[in-house]
Order: sequence, then structure tokens, then C-alpha cells
Amino acid sequence: MPKVILHKGGEVFEGDVAPKTNLVVSAGIRKFPFPNLAYKCGMGKCSTCTCRILAGADHLEPPNWKEKRQLGERLDEGYRLACQLWVTEDIELAQDV
Amino acid sequence: MGQVLNPDELRTALETAIKGNTANASPFSLAWASGKLSRDHLARWCENHYHYVGPFAEYLAYVYARLPAEFEEAKDFMLQNMYEEELAADRHTDLLIRFGEACGTNRARILNPDNMTATTRALQAWCYTVAMREDPIVAIAGLVVGLESQVPSIYRKQTPTLRDTYGFTDEEVEFFDLHIVSDEIHGERGYQIVLEHARTYELQQKCLKICEIGAQMRLLYTTALYNEYVGAEIPLSDLGLAA
Repeated sequence: MPKVILHKGGEVFEGDVAPKTNLVVSAGIRKFPFPNLAYKCGMGKCSTCTCRILAGADHLEPPNWKEKRQLGERLDEGYRLACQLWVTEDIELAQDV
Repeated sequence: MGQVLNPDELRTALETAIKGNTANASPFSLAWASGKLSRDHLARWCENHYHYVGPFAEYLAYVYARLPAEFEEAKDFMLQNMYEEELAADRHTDLLIRFGEACGTNRARILNPDNMTATTRALQAWCYTVAMREDPIVAIAGLVVGLESQVPSIYRKQTPTLRDTYGFTDEEVEFFDLHIVSDEIHGERGYQIVLEHARTYELQQKCLKICEIGAQMRLLYTTALYNEYVGAEIPLSDLGLAA
């Protein structure tokens, strides 16, 4: 089970998720990282779920067209849209408040 | 009187009720997944599908209004579901129309109810009936668990084919992408609500029955699409099905 570490607002939240978990789906069904991951549209349009990947980025699929459109140069700084990611391995990420 | 199922047993029973009639098994879905449909076929699908999913927030609104005030979490979920369908970013039906335009039809044709089959009308009418007349928990079982929760598995199968075989762009198939995420949330939350609130034998049996009927309705709808638009060009035998 992938371990997820989420940094947010000076706090650290840790939890295990099933392999191939989308963190927005998981939060949407009231499982970890609910209620600590902010998200809104779930469709790569609003960018509310934007997170910076601190560790484990190598295991993620490359950014898709929505992430490229929404994040542009911020992708180079490690930002991704959580709603577009399926987590298969341990990951550490931070969400700005 | 039968025995009340515990939440795990009820979940398994709901999944079984849906599985037996999954729309994945319909000839239209099989033709879609195997890349055999033409863009014309897909355009006809859009002109029908709009009238089934277009009013989804309206179906949910009837259920929302009839849910008792003390079912606060369930009510909030219904509101959130409606909001996500209509307002969270792009209206979901606008993305369906965009896909339809890529298939060669247009907004006016898609909006025109004269372009849907009688069976699509039946599915739409059934959704309204369930939303207005059934116990709200039964309605959630039928509309959200029975219908909406099926969507991710259907689109997960169909979306790669749309890109790789049919040659649509990412933007053209966004309607399908977003439903993999949003309907997974909606379907699972629907399960959670039904498991929490269907705590009598009678209510559980009604939920199971309506899930079965909902899945049958969706299967009927997609089968009618095949019969109406595809069957003359792609026989069942081409899809590995007995005629």
C-alpha cells in the first residue's frame, strides 16, 4: 500500500492508500487525505488541488495536457494537479494554504 | 421476513445486482470498445446520451428535496453532486456536446429531443420517476449506485479507444476523462449513503431491486442504440455475440 505524506498549513498528515489511488477521489469519498486535501472540480480545470511533489515524483505518469495547460512553468518546480494523478508508490507532497 | 444484511453483505449484494446487467456487455459498448463504431454512430450516441445525463442534476434535485433534513450528510452530497455536474468548472453536458461536435453533429441536434430513441425517452422518464416517487434512499441506490457508479468502468474501457483507435484529441474526449474521477467519487459516496441508511430488510430489498432495474435500464438503452443505429452495419457475430 502506498504511503502518502501530505504537508499542509504547517501540519503533516500521513496515511496509506490503495495502489492506483487518485487522492481527490479518495478525499471525495471521505478517506485519507480527507478533509485535508483541498479540491474542487476534479477535472483539471480549477487548480484547487495543486500540490508540490516533495518525494516520489519519479513514480508518477508524466504531466498530462490539463496539467500542462493549468500549471505551465510551475511543472518544472514540481507542482502537479492531484486530481490528475494515480498514486502507485509512496509519495510526499505539500499543498499551499 | 428475511434477515437484515450488514453493510459488507449489502455492498456485495448491490454490486452483484448491478454486475448481472452491466452495460459493458451490450453490443453497442462492445462495438465501441473494439473500435468498430463510426463517428456517425458516436454522434447518434451523443444525441441520445445528452437526454439521459443532461437532466441528472434535476433528478438529484428531486431526491435532495425529499431527503429528510436530519440526513444532512446525504443532502450535502446530493448538492455537491449537482454542483459538480453543472458549475464546478465546465458544465459536463457542454463537454458532451464538444465531443458530439467532434463526431460531426452539432449543439442544436444534440439538444433536440426529437433525435433520441423511444428507449432513451424511457430511460429518462424512469430516472425522473425514481427521483420523484421512490423513497429517497432507494432513489439514491437506483440513480447513483445503479447508474452513476457504473460509469468509471465503462469509460475506463472506452476512453483509450477513443484516443488510440478513433483518433480523437485529449480535449475532445474530456467528457469521458472527467467522469472517471467524478463518478468514482459520486458512486462510492452513493454506496456509503445507502449502506448507512438502508437498515431495514424492506428498504434493503428495495435498494437491491432498484439497482438491478437501473442496470437493466442502462443495458436496455445501450442495446437500443445498437439496434437503432449500428446493427444493420455491424452484425452481432462481428462482436463475438450470438445473433
